[in-house]
Amino acid sequence: MFKPIKEMMRVGNATTKYPFAPLERPEGARGKPEHDSANCIACAACAVACPPNAIQMVVDPKGGTIMWFINYGRCIFCGRCEEVCPTKCIKLSREFELAVMDKNDLEETCTYPLQKCSQCGKYFASAKEVAYAGDILEQQAENDEEAKRARELLSVCPTCKQKADAYRAKRRVDTVGDPTPDPTPEQMDEARKQADKNKAERRKEARF
Amino acid sequence: MTKEKNPYAGRPGATHVEAVKERFPGAVTDVSWSTDYQPVITVDADSAPGVIEYLYYERGGWMPVMAANDERPLINKFALYYILSMEEQDKCMLTVRCELDPVSGEFQAVSARVPAAVWSEREAQDLFGLTGRNILDNRNLVLPDDWPQDLHPLRKDSMDYRFRPAPTREIENYDFLKDTGDHETRVIPMGPMHITSDEPAHFRLYVEGEQIIDADYRMFFIHRGMEKCAESRLNYDGVNFLAERICGICGYAHSVAYAETVERAQGIEVPKRAQYIRSILMEVERLHSHLLNLGLVCHYTGFDTGFQHFFRIREDAMDLAELLTGARKTYGLNIIGGVRRDILASQTAETFAKIDKLRDDTKRLCDQMLSTPNFRKRVEGVGILAPKIARDYSPVGPVVRGSGFARDARWVHPFEGYQYIADHHKPFTEESCDVKGRTLVRVHEVLDSMDIVEELLRDELPAGPILNDKFHIEPGKFAIGYDEAPRGENVHWSMIGNNQKTYRWRAKAATYSNWPVLRYMFRGNTISDAALIVGSIDPCYSCTERVSIVDVKKRKEQILTKQQFEEYGRTQKHSPIDM
Repeated sequence: MFKPIKEMMRVGNATTKYPFAPLERPEGARGKPEHDSANCIACAACAVACPPNAIQMVVDPKGGTIMWFINYGRCIFCGRCEEVCPTKCIKLSREFELAVMDKNDLEETCTYPLQKCSQCGKYFASAKEVAYAGDILEQQAENDEEAKRARELLSVCPTCKQKADAYRAKRRVDTVGDPTPDPTPEQMDEARKQADKNKAERRKEARF
Repeated sequence: MTKEKNPYAGRPGATHVEAVKERFPGAVTDVSWSTDYQPVITVDADSAPGVIEYLYYERGGWMPVMAANDERPLINKFALYYILSMEEQDKCMLTVRCELDPVSGEFQAVSARVPAAVWSEREAQDLFGLTGRNILDNRNLVLPDDWPQDLHPLRKDSMDYRFRPAPTREIENYDFLKDTGDHETRVIPMGPMHITSDEPAHFRLYVEGEQIIDADYRMFFIHRGMEKCAESRLNYDGVNFLAERICGICGYAHSVAYAETVERAQGIEVPKRAQYIRSILMEVERLHSHLLNLGLVCHYTGFDTGFQHFFRIREDAMDLAELLTGARKTYGLNIIGGVRRDILASQTAETFAKIDKLRDDTKRLCDQMLSTPNFRKRVEGVGILAPKIARDYSPVGPVVRGSGFARDARWVHPFEGYQYIADHHKPFTEESCDVKGRTLVRVHEVLDSMDIVEELLRDELPAGPILNDKFHIEPGKFAIGYDEAPRGENVHWSMIGNNQKTYRWRAKAATYSNWPVLRYMFRGNTISDAALIVGSIDPCYSCTERVSIVDVKKRKEQILTKQQFEEYGRTQKHSPIDM
């Protein structure tokens, strides 16, 4: 009977002044993700990693823009975006007071231009991402010639690259002839054995 | 025994496999090991009940869960995986697998012989449209009573995870069980919304005067469809974060259990340091969860001073979690292959300081609680869970330990960091079988948890990496993941499919095993004790219930004013809900 009363006297006031005074959170507490729009290259790594789809990328292929979009109402503060960002432009802050009067205020967007293909003129990737890749390739290039060529190649979309590759192969066949000779009987035997082995493995897997 | 006769000699569970083969000649069609510790026996569907009854009652098995799986796209069969935790001799997690006809989906219900399977089998009937012959209880479990009869959400070909069917009938047609003999009883409804429970569940107490003669309940009002969502929308490594949201209290344990299923099935080695960190965080979680329940048990017995004080010191446990993980709850630190955040030296020092303070506070408060005469009178002899009922239904955690069974996954099947310290720990049990027993188990465990955190952090924490990201995912493999959450053993089962997806994920929360015994705990007590008894299993509603069926027929959102709400509450006429 007297023990609880003693405990009450011992503890005194246990509450804090919050919200009238700020609340201290420890180092490393996870709160609102802060997006550094200047360094973001709109590569969408965060959107792929985000488990609850709080971060999404909205592409407008006609207008030539890609929009980084976050809904803080969906965010679970896991920090996967921070982990995967190649340019370290998302950081989790310690901010946790995210309540708003209007739901729309929970959303933030940031729009970036898309890169036009130098061949077909279609938009194919975030311009800043292409430039970022170009910078890396330029640093790794051995001479100016190579760097210039890397830059040129980057501004071509994957479809056009595939097309160019196909044409080049066709030209080679037309001028030099078929570059792949017929396989020898030994090579054929080897290939058949491999095929049988693969089939057996697939059958084993298919049981589940 | 010759080598030919027993090719598995020495592997965990081999003696069980042999015993089953001997007792049921011809029933076993295949034997394999999904991991070293997890044998899988495939039996023909008709002999499954016999085999499981034998393993359960005669060879010391307990049944956490059964996972149904729609394997028609793979082998054109449905499959059932009855998971048995073999705890007496030759310890292992044993799976009895059987395949069912893809068209009729009929199986011989195991629950007729082993009641512990009843919820899992009812769930399989609801979600997969299977039919259990002789099933112990044929009512809906998970699906609402107005759900279309032929729509089974977890069948691969049934529906999109966003689909919300229109209700098929107006009236409630759930038959509540009533076994009151020749007593003349009245019905006292409790819930779905009740002041003593923070989540919805509907109880019907059949009372004679003050005495509860029988009781029944309807739950799954807030089933959220997580399993469907996981297999449709998330990648296998995103499911961790969803698993953590099964429960608002013991979510981290779910996240560990899911990560374990994938890691074990794929043979991914988790670095030792990551295993330790997982164990430490699970104990930190147990601290705050048990303190919460100790507070609540004070509250239910009218000792509100104790309630306030327990919640005050629980705040220190929450601060500790925030210090180590960056969040008070839902730590979000697990990922397949390890953890995402290390424990630094400065944090270790601070942890020790916090735990010292917490230990003093907890000891003092528990002493006060247990020496309060009113408290003792309210909990002694209330909510008796007879050992016989406990044995039949496989409850877990403090509920079963309060009835004298030493079941604790940490020490029976040591996993993660616990396997390195299991030799000098054992489960704590109480023989009194009542609310007091369960409370004492929690008091002991909360103090024990503090010792474990200190032990793991102080001498043991090995150096090294915390994440292994060099692995290859192979589809079709499955395994069991289990751990001891504050409320008991969480058991997850998953199979990875193609496209980086989880083909099937079955999550069993601790409380899922504890609900079925509640009916027996109610009997013979007074109405005023009902809330206390529910509280003593430390129930966790949304853990049990993983799908919420909201009627969004008209795709409309509506906000009720307080006035409308109160008006409707008083008159129960002219529902303002226009959906």
